[in-house]
Amino acid sequence: MKTLIAISIITLVAVALVSQLHFAHAQLAQQTSAKQYINLRAEVWNEFFRMTTAAFTVGAIVSGTMIWLVWRFRESNPKNKSPTKWEHLEDPTSGSYEEEGH
Amino acid sequence: MGHDTAEWVFVAIVIAVLIYVGVDSWIVQKAVEDVPADAEVIKVTGQQWFWSFEHADGTKEISTLHVKKGHAYVFEIYSRDVMHSFNIPDWVVFEDAVPGHTNHAWFAPDTAGTYPIQCREYCGLLHYNMRGSLVVEDDKS
Repeated sequence: MKTLIAISIITLVAVALVSQLHFAHAQLAQQTSAKQYINLRAEVWNEFFRMTTAAFTVGAIVSGTMIWLVWRFRESNPKNKSPTKWEHLEDPTSGSYEEEGH
Repeated sequence: MGHDTAEWVFVAIVIAVLIYVGVDSWIVQKAVEDVPADAEVIKVTGQQWFWSFEHADGTKEISTLHVKKGHAYVFEIYSRDVMHSFNIPDWVVFEDAVPGHTNHAWFAPDTAGTYPIQCREYCGLLHYNMRGSLVVEDDKS
């Protein structure tokens, strides 16, 4: 789990940094000549692809978490043979498991 | 790792992505809306059902707009009657023409050629035919 989270964070940072580096590089190149203008079409499409990447990243994290939840807490999982600490409570919505001494 | 930690990491990742989306969009929007200082002003007037243009030197054109490659232009877009929308799809110019209000859009063509101009706001019977042409010419000066 820790490895998965670490890989996710590193990937996110890389995705964010790479696009920003490209943008900074393009802006630096623009300053070399007063007659160079940004390409609106390219900027808009690049932004679209970066936002798509962000949207798919969020989608992957959310759907991945849900898939893991379903897989981990399925009835047939050997880890679920004994009740979880929460299931020891008579009413899981009241109080916390620490107070119950589990 | 406890459940609380995992949940906070999850929340932090989502917040980080949202911050990235906001900051990146803001930077790009600023860059795209920033009109170059040397941009030449072209007044664009929409009326049922054609476009007319006036260059900075007073030259007027109807339906066909001539510009030079490698120069920046800023459009001052206005309407004489109803709402129109000035659109040059090939150059990502898309701005409403509103009576009593001037909108701005800029572009800097880097490829010579002829490109369509069209109205993108339903403005009456002949809206479909409210078209024009943008002619980008090589700068020989």
